[in-house]
Amino acid sequence: MSLPSPFALSLLSIIALSLLGLPVGLAMVGGSVLYLLAAGLDVGTASEQIINGMMGSFLLLAIPLFILAAAFMNAGSIMDRLVRFCNALVGRFRGGLALVNVAQSIVFASMSGSALADAAGAGKLMQSMMTREGKYTRGFAAALTAVSATIGPILPPSIPLVVYALVSDASVGYLFLAGVLPGLLIGAVQMGLIVGMAKRRNFPLEASVPLREMPRITKEAFPALLMPIILFGCLYSGITTPTEAAAVAAAYALLIAGGLYRSIGAGDIYHSLLTSARTSVSIGMLIAGAMAFNYVITVENIPHTVSAILAATDLSQVGFLMLVNVILLVLGCVLEGTTIILVILPVLLPTAAALGIDPVHFGVIAVMNIMFGLVTPPYGLLLFMMTKVADVPLREIVREVMPFLGVMFIALMLVTYIPTITLFLPRLFGYAG
Amino acid sequence: MGSFIVRVAGWVQRRSENVIAALLGIMFAAFIVQIVFRYFFNLPTGWSTELSLIAWLWMVLWGTALALKEKDEIRFDILTSLAGPRARRVMAVVVAVATVTLYGLSLPGTYKYVTFMKVEKSSYLNIRLDWLYSVFVLFVVATILRYLWLLWQALRGESQGEETAGADRTP
Repeated sequence: MSLPSPFALSLLSIIALSLLGLPVGLAMVGGSVLYLLAAGLDVGTASEQIINGMMGSFLLLAIPLFILAAAFMNAGSIMDRLVRFCNALVGRFRGGLALVNVAQSIVFASMSGSALADAAGAGKLMQSMMTREGKYTRGFAAALTAVSATIGPILPPSIPLVVYALVSDASVGYLFLAGVLPGLLIGAVQMGLIVGMAKRRNFPLEASVPLREMPRITKEAFPALLMPIILFGCLYSGITTPTEAAAVAAAYALLIAGGLYRSIGAGDIYHSLLTSARTSVSIGMLIAGAMAFNYVITVENIPHTVSAILAATDLSQVGFLMLVNVILLVLGCVLEGTTIILVILPVLLPTAAALGIDPVHFGVIAVMNIMFGLVTPPYGLLLFMMTKVADVPLREIVREVMPFLGVMFIALMLVTYIPTITLFLPRLFGYAG
Repeated sequence: MGSFIVRVAGWVQRRSENVIAALLGIMFAAFIVQIVFRYFFNLPTGWSTELSLIAWLWMVLWGTALALKEKDEIRFDILTSLAGPRARRVMAVVVAVATVTLYGLSLPGTYKYVTFMKVEKSSYLNIRLDWLYSVFVLFVVATILRYLWLLWQALRGESQGEETAGADRTP
């Protein structure tokens, strides 16, 4: 056969157009159209797949709503209160501000679902706090802000986990619960490393917040700290669907920012709607493109083919997970996370199922891998963003990121090979896997 | 001629930002109404779900077609950021020609699918589906026009940065 198959043509065109700078979502629509043309199918199928996919995935509406909730949190003074609370909590130790950076990522994670949003919002604030008066080098501050931002999408609510729920049919509620312990574990190893470094590198001590101030600071941050409890309450009491829980989170954020703290006006609300809409549109187009291309993948029966190839190699569960670790870490360095979940994971899921890997566990491993890819040099999206946000050369960030990647890799291995870390909480709430 | 297009495109882009912000607001409001009606009054509202989904479809397609700026879009910039101005121009031409061709070829099929759907109506709001889905035709047409413009820009040797600067200068 001299001509390339329609599928190869389609895949190559998507890769080529994306590399040449066409937005990935548009490239996937274009590549799918090319497939339909080359295979002699009805070209209108691309629009049909996208429209039906978008109108049929109620779950996806959680994405714009979680983004909106985070925007309301950012617009109000909620973030400042949370940072003050974290500072009162862990700021008293050597390397205090560095610990606060990790702690606020954990606390703020329950308000937002996107690592990039975390690094751009709260992360920027921490960066300037840490480098003020030369307390920490700018490279260390930027590196820490980038690595601590990866915690957000692993802890609930998480946009990558919502997207994963879409492709895997796993329950969003259980996926969110499954992310809790792995997310906290990453926070713990990062804090552990900071404490270990603090003496050797002589990190500065901060003026510690007197203990009698604690009740006041906690009270000020309390309504914001209640957010995860409200979210989980809505989800697990069955009051709302996951998508509705996202709307409740946004409404609650608006309510405390506007009603209680009086720190958000009509202009802020419009601005939050606009910035959230922009982010949602760019993610939504990626999903729309993936819906068209996933039709191609299904028609070509690619997941089955991959599954058959892997089955022939007699791969064990551990071997497969190791392969997944490697594939996702490499892809995570060059691909945007949502694209990987939408396009690559459906191809791997049947094999994971055949090997008896729990779909919830697999989702958490995948998201962790993808998040780590965001901070893996040389091409980690978060690293690049920090060079822009903090105006630090990439070289300085990369040097400081390395030790963190080391401990995070250990955490990833623990989560991958000890399923209980992931599945303990879901099982506690009745997950049968 | 060029500056007229830039001015019109800028106006459309700004109004489209209003549109997507409003659509997100509608989606958010519909959800709140839905939760309140079901939880407090025990009244399920199917129309609110439908409204949210329509708002989502329109927001994504309208937004991609008309509201998003270059910097908002998700793309790889490894190669484009490494390339010099000449190479970048060639890349822009290739991308624009391919996009205009592929989206152009898909237009008749898309139009046929959307108009074919006139026989059906949405379940709750009773809107004809060809009206609801017409945003997809808008998306394809706008994408073709956008990349024709970018092709024109690249052929004339103006980089995309200059285009935005020009748009900012326009009174």
